[in-house]
Amino acid sequence: MRPLTLTRLLVRCGILALILFAVVVVAMKLGAVQVSLYGLGKDLISVLLGRTSALSSDYGMIVLGIRLPRILLAIFVGASLSVAGVSFQALLRNPLADPYVLGVSSGAALGAIVALIIEGHLNLSPEMAGLITPVGAFVGAAITIAAVYLLGRRDGQIDSTTLLLGGIITASFLSAVIMFLMTTLSGNNLRGSAFWFMGDLSTPQPRSLQYFLSFGFIVAAGAIYTTASDLNLLLAGEKEAMHLGVDVPRVRIVVYIAASILTGLAVSVSGTIGYVGLLVPHVMRLIFGSDHRMLIPASALGGAIALVIADTLARTVTSPTDLPVGAMTAAAGAPLFIYLLRRRLS
Amino acid sequence: MSTALRHPLPGDASRANSDVRLSVEQVSYAYAANPSQAPLFTLEALSFQAKPGEIVAIVGPNACGKSTLLKLISGALEPLSGRIFLNGFATHSLPVKTRAQRIALVQQESRLIFPSRAWEFVLQGRHPYGGGLRFESEEDVLIANNALAQVGASHLADRWMDKISGGEKQRIILARALAQQPLLLLLDEPTLHLDIGAQVDLLESLRRLAAQNRYTVVVVTHELNLAGEYADQVVLLQKGKCLRVGSPATVLQREILEQVFQAPLSVEITPSGRPRVTLFTNK
Amino acid sequence: MQFGRGPATVIGCNAESQATLPRRRGWAYFAREYASSTRPASRRVFLLSNCSQPSRQGRFVHHIRSNSAHRAGFLAGALLLLGAWLPLGAQSFPPPPSVASPPPAMHEVVDEFGRNVRVPQIPARIVSLAPSLTETLYALGVQDRLVGDTDYCDYPAEAQKKTKVGGPINPNLEEIAALHPDIVLVTKEINRLETVRALDTLGIPTYATDAHTVDEILSSTQKLADLLGVPEAGKSLTGDLQARLVSLHTKLEGLPPSRVLFIVWTRPLISIGKNTFIADALRKADAASIVDSTQDWPQMNLEEVVRLQPDYLVFAAAHSESAARDFETLSSLPGWNILDAVRNRHFAVISEAVNRPAPRIVSAIEDLAHQLHPAAFLDFPTPEKPAAPVTPAPGAPNPPAAAPARVTRNVLQPFIQEFACAR
Repeated sequence: MRPLTLTRLLVRCGILALILFAVVVVAMKLGAVQVSLYGLGKDLISVLLGRTSALSSDYGMIVLGIRLPRILLAIFVGASLSVAGVSFQALLRNPLADPYVLGVSSGAALGAIVALIIEGHLNLSPEMAGLITPVGAFVGAAITIAAVYLLGRRDGQIDSTTLLLGGIITASFLSAVIMFLMTTLSGNNLRGSAFWFMGDLSTPQPRSLQYFLSFGFIVAAGAIYTTASDLNLLLAGEKEAMHLGVDVPRVRIVVYIAASILTGLAVSVSGTIGYVGLLVPHVMRLIFGSDHRMLIPASALGGAIALVIADTLARTVTSPTDLPVGAMTAAAGAPLFIYLLRRRLS
Repeated sequence: MSTALRHPLPGDASRANSDVRLSVEQVSYAYAANPSQAPLFTLEALSFQAKPGEIVAIVGPNACGKSTLLKLISGALEPLSGRIFLNGFATHSLPVKTRAQRIALVQQESRLIFPSRAWEFVLQGRHPYGGGLRFESEEDVLIANNALAQVGASHLADRWMDKISGGEKQRIILARALAQQPLLLLLDEPTLHLDIGAQVDLLESLRRLAAQNRYTVVVVTHELNLAGEYADQVVLLQKGKCLRVGSPATVLQREILEQVFQAPLSVEITPSGRPRVTLFTNK
Repeated sequence: MQFGRGPATVIGCNAESQATLPRRRGWAYFAREYASSTRPASRRVFLLSNCSQPSRQGRFVHHIRSNSAHRAGFLAGALLLLGAWLPLGAQSFPPPPSVASPPPAMHEVVDEFGRNVRVPQIPARIVSLAPSLTETLYALGVQDRLVGDTDYCDYPAEAQKKTKVGGPINPNLEEIAALHPDIVLVTKEINRLETVRALDTLGIPTYATDAHTVDEILSSTQKLADLLGVPEAGKSLTGDLQARLVSLHTKLEGLPPSRVLFIVWTRPLISIGKNTFIADALRKADAASIVDSTQDWPQMNLEEVVRLQPDYLVFAAAHSESAARDFETLSSLPGWNILDAVRNRHFAVISEAVNRPAPRIVSAIEDLAHQLHPAAFLDFPTPEKPAAPVTPAPGAPNPPAAAPARVTRNVLQPFIQEFACAR
């Protein structure tokens, strides 16, 4: 009998963080433009010390201005989607649950499209214009969260099955609305939405948005982590969890809102990147077991690693063309899913 | 005993009559499927008491309110009238965590979405004493180990829950309940999926545990003979009404049983004073 | 600590009624009871716990400490995460490369999207993100200043040798940045707003063109020429193109427009909307698109097409053989045979240049006019065509596929004359 201890948790997370660091270094080196690691290291140090003027401008613009924000975005999105995936799998007691199953992504997509349409009629400064799509997407996500919550209630509390059904129906409905809008409205701006649906990390985000995303991730993931041991029990059954001292309604609502917020944040900046939220939790569960106190941070780090790798491949494999990162995750994810499925059945 | 691991409530030690642990007083329950319908009385007012170390068996035909009564005792449902006291505290009004430190419910089957090992499962029983961001301490581990030993399942500790037999799983579930260090142990038809040998094993363990650790055990069961042999008190229900409460010999009598179960039977008293019910088949 | 006979040893009556029992005494009580138990395993446990008994108080404290320890650790990790974002996120991009020469003079222009852009007076390094813009640059003679273009920039052939930066929809920002362009040219038609915004964030000026009619294409070309510092080349190019269009208009004056369906895609049937430059190009060739939609690429209902009965189907293809094949496939599909245009084999094939808002579109317009209104051009030589499509004249038998157009026309001239009156 070897239950999880704090040291074991920190050691494992430390190892994963080291792997992430190594992957980030490799990702910073690879790209359409060649960059040497030595120069990279020097530049990073001078940046951290605040001496930005000492940078050679080739590196500065390309690595720190293009590559690094993209890598950081991949870390954020990968971590958010994976933590949301773990949470929904526990909340809905369903191993097939992924962050999009409750319709948040469709709501975000609709919000983004509506924002694009509105933007055409407004005169906005460049910074505002850059923000309107993510803000619209997040507003769409928030409305969907509220709507699905109201649909998913039974006797005043969230019920897993009803929630799942409500979410799937909402997702289908919103997808139909989106398809209607995309075909009946003209507008070149909507061309970008095809990329959005495939998942796209190539757009640099305004700085204010970056801060908001980090803050949102820490708050939401932190909230979920406080219920980690409750989630372990919730998996055994809701009645049993209650008899073991879990405040089930409170846990359900905290996890639902926090995980939906994580999904909404991720989707509003990167579109719908598939398979990460579904598979990273399963892989981490295979390695570390089902204890959510380990699984949640492991999924966050694992998701970050997976998405940085996928994004690096997406932008280097068919250089100079950028593949949408969702294509990469699907290409790797589908075979992995089949493998996990067979393993589970055997 | 008040240690760091259990959070005592003021009512715990002040109960005047320290002999009675569980007191069910005039408890009734009704529920309406539709707001417009008149509520159905699932349980009419009944009372009984139980002491530490006692086993109470709740018996009766299907749909007589046995499970409802158990849920009321466990605090999952709030009684319509009357109250249920555990050491002087109304079970329903306790916060969930405190309740879990005092009442443990053993259900028949555990549906596990993601498989876990037996020891992980038993360790879940320590959750009422921590939870949040707390990790299990060595004490928790030792308590869990002891629980496994008490049910005779130490050899199963490292096995996966989905790879053991029904009877073994039942023992692990019981071990988890024991790890909660409860005052009250509730079991809902624990013998349903067990063969005869396993059924007897289970009831023997319950008797032993109740005696050793001074639990109060409440078992809902269909098995009249197990109730008769192992219970100290029997509560006989029919259609939500409590027909009789008392020792097995007084409750399990031929006339009333035949009326309740609508089946010909005979009852004999064994040398130890326990009733044994035998069914006759129709010729 | 209640090691004793089992997990529930705390529940002795002793414990319950003596809440204030000192721990040591309670422990001793249980220890005594326990020692009399016969289970060796438990006894070992007892011994183990006995040894650690004095630290029971400490264990309680350790308990609390480990709680706050990992709470602190958690907080530290969170701060680390946030902290890592800040310096890198707060990084302001270094200024563009300082070349040996003094920084170029900048001025502000308004692009066709309505944006104010700061560009050098004479941009020396240009990146084009649309094939039409690449063609225009070559036509204006500034191709030496073109340092990068898209994978799809294939005309003229030399354009394929330029450094590629990806597709128009998903260009690689790093490649663009590595080329240190003074200006990046985009069109509203095929480039994405996100690309423009991304380049803005990197401090690279972008200039967008947006042409919805052929006249706008010409004025756009002139504006581009002014922007790039070659206004005379622009005037000469646009003047020449304008002259050809005027001449075409003169020849076609009075002739009723041919009603056509411009086919972008066959399955599903997609045509062009009335606000696109392609529709305008068709009008310049005295052809009216039967599609009356404000969408750019409307999907057409076959019934609607049948109701409107276009005179001609127009395809834009690189090779006439593939267009002829497309037509054959189309005519074999159910429902299409109801169209007069299909039964009479009235289809016109023009170069793909019609899809690009660039100078070559005028050639495509002239070609289409010749195919749809041959009577207007009987006395004039046929125009220069990049490809040699074969178009059967109405009612005439199919000429051999590889015959050049000029020969075809001369051979068929008597027939055309005969039928021209019949039209």
